[in-house]
Amino acid sequence: MPRPRFKRPFELLSPGAWTIVTLALVSSAIYAAWPVPERPGRDFWMFSPPNVQHYRAVLDAWNAQHPDNRVNLIQIHYQALERRLLAAFTSDAPVADLVETESRTMARAFAGPLEAIGFVDLTERLHREGLFEAINPPSFSTWTTRGRTFALPHDVHPCLLGYRADLVEAAGIDVAQIETWEDFRRLLGPLIRDHDGDGRPDRYLLNFWDTNFDLLTVLLWQAGGDLFDAQERAAFATELNARTIAELAGWVAGPRRFCVDARDFTAGGDQMRLEGTVVAAILPDWLAAVWRSNIPGLAGKVKLMRLPAWERGGRRTSVWGGTALGITKSAPDFEKSWAVAKHLYLSPQVAESLFRTTYIISPVKAHWQLPFYHEPDPFFSGQKVGAMYLAEAPHVPPRIASPYMTLAMERMMAVLVSLKAHAIARNTYDAEALLPEARRLLADAQRDLSARMGRNVLYRSAQ
Amino acid sequence: MKSAPPHPRWAPWAFLTPFLALFVIFTLWPLAQSLVLAFQQTFGPKSTAYIGTKNFTFLFEDPLFWQAVRNTAVYTFGAVFIQLPVALGLALLLNRPGLRGRAIFRLIFFAPSLVGLVFVGVMFAQLFQKRTGLINAGLHALFPAWDPEFAWLDNQVMPSLLLASVWLYAGFNMIYFLAALQNVNRELIEAASIDGAGPWHRFRHIVVPEIRPVATFVVLLSVIGSFQLFELPWVLLDNTAGPDNRGLTVVMYLYQTGFLVGDLGYASAIGWVLGLLLAGAAAVQMRATRLEGNQ
Repeated sequence: MPRPRFKRPFELLSPGAWTIVTLALVSSAIYAAWPVPERPGRDFWMFSPPNVQHYRAVLDAWNAQHPDNRVNLIQIHYQALERRLLAAFTSDAPVADLVETESRTMARAFAGPLEAIGFVDLTERLHREGLFEAINPPSFSTWTTRGRTFALPHDVHPCLLGYRADLVEAAGIDVAQIETWEDFRRLLGPLIRDHDGDGRPDRYLLNFWDTNFDLLTVLLWQAGGDLFDAQERAAFATELNARTIAELAGWVAGPRRFCVDARDFTAGGDQMRLEGTVVAAILPDWLAAVWRSNIPGLAGKVKLMRLPAWERGGRRTSVWGGTALGITKSAPDFEKSWAVAKHLYLSPQVAESLFRTTYIISPVKAHWQLPFYHEPDPFFSGQKVGAMYLAEAPHVPPRIASPYMTLAMERMMAVLVSLKAHAIARNTYDAEALLPEARRLLADAQRDLSARMGRNVLYRSAQ
Repeated sequence: MKSAPPHPRWAPWAFLTPFLALFVIFTLWPLAQSLVLAFQQTFGPKSTAYIGTKNFTFLFEDPLFWQAVRNTAVYTFGAVFIQLPVALGLALLLNRPGLRGRAIFRLIFFAPSLVGLVFVGVMFAQLFQKRTGLINAGLHALFPAWDPEFAWLDNQVMPSLLLASVWLYAGFNMIYFLAALQNVNRELIEAASIDGAGPWHRFRHIVVPEIRPVATFVVLLSVIGSFQLFELPWVLLDNTAGPDNRGLTVVMYLYQTGFLVGDLGYASAIGWVLGLLLAGAAAVQMRATRLEGNQ
């Protein structure tokens, strides 16, 4: 009987199989040995493209002066930043030491009990260093939940009205006489024109549309309304909001319509601004810089004025957007991160660079007298843009942060869309006549959102 | 004759192990986790509570979920009954004998599916814009009575979405149909022609039965793809579900619930119900096809 022959090792597999095994081993070895560059210092995530230019120069200088506390600036699209940030908080995955984030992202990070929030609670530190007094108070509102503040505010973002001064002045209209939205409609009304004779206006007065929930909330806040109460419960079914919504329905439909949909950040919207299809737009400081960079053809043709109020003596500004800097709990050295945060947000030199690059005014009240805010600006026809925004900063309405903010804004948009459809169906555009339907729609929307919030046992216990 | 040495018994397992490891870690384990999550409520990074079947009971009473199901079903209906006939029509045109430049036409019709969903969403968002969008501007130039402010993405969300998806997918599905048509037995068609069968009868009684397996596959793919609809409306509607949630799809609702509200438990419940709906649709379709085949 022949003796069984033991296989030599290479005979255990076919040549093809050996090739696969070899490739797998070689590629694994290369992957394991591939050097991962070490980044000394603190990682700083931020999302805003206009801020990159500003931060690069500031942080290059900082890194040169502070080799022991270097900062690595990493720009990430804001949605990607939000996903990475929240996923990291959930899974304890690596995350940057410093994160500059937008208000809605921060509101989502506020979900759950206070101790589970992934940012360091800065409340005591802000008190100790007198920053609650040094910084414009409304700027803290979106970074605060249940009485605790988790980020250092970057801005104020007051709103003014940007308008085509060339068109308005050519028509002999004096904007100084405009105090309310009703004045605005009445005085600028003659500018609504049908150029091509097709029976439809080719020029409207204001960029606003029922589907633009950002602008809708800006106008609601200006009117004194809000979406949530101090306990962060849905609270938008109020008489004030109903009146505002009923009024807005007549802005976008019917014989007295004066608004048009000229979306920001779209080529079509910019073309409409350039061609004068829309005369005016609600313009926070950051958006003024977007106009300057994206629509240079408007230089010298546009001016700023205070927002018309909802009623005589009412608030002449509002707020749109918001950014702040949070320090994550996983940051290994809080003091070093805090030093960077204070340099970026509290230094007068950085405030100047920020304003010159982005028109964004600092929330630090001590900086407001600095000369660069009071220089005439050629883009806005020689107006002192900084000073105009600063004058409104103390009057910016406070806002309540909630993880349900986006849902609430969408509900409000749905209410206005439905109310407009209701008005068109009945050919009734008078605010008083629309008020009962506005109340009903708001109550339904609030009931729905409250039911969603209420079924969340964790939300209830976190409050 | 010397037979080839048998492979050792463990060899298949050795080759399967990398896949199985990845499958268990990245598919089975998350699937099991999501099933557990579906019976929990989450809020924020670290808060989880077991709530039994409350996610499912709320789901069945949730008007937004049913609106999402309705919207998705409407889109699926459109995908199957508009997009696929267009794809089949294109394939029939390209399958005509003696057609010159077939490869060029095939490339032109197929090209939209090379560019990706997000690009198509961005492009159609521009095309559908009021006043400055090509569609409204073009229609207004051709028909002055056409309102240049016609709000495609406000009032006609589903037709706009279907138009974009027909442009995107018709060419892709056409390739399947074309491949099937090229395998239809020519002798049968010639014999039918000799026997006096007209084009419709040849199509109905020869072409359709021959391409049925491919058509079934394409319909199934379209139904599954339609129920997974997310990126196209999300980009087209500027990261929203559109006015009054007119563009809300089931997957979009899942995303909003899980990642914008932070309730991963409810989102998991939506995901499981969507999975069951798809499995049900696939089973019904397979059974219907089998019954038809037996007849």
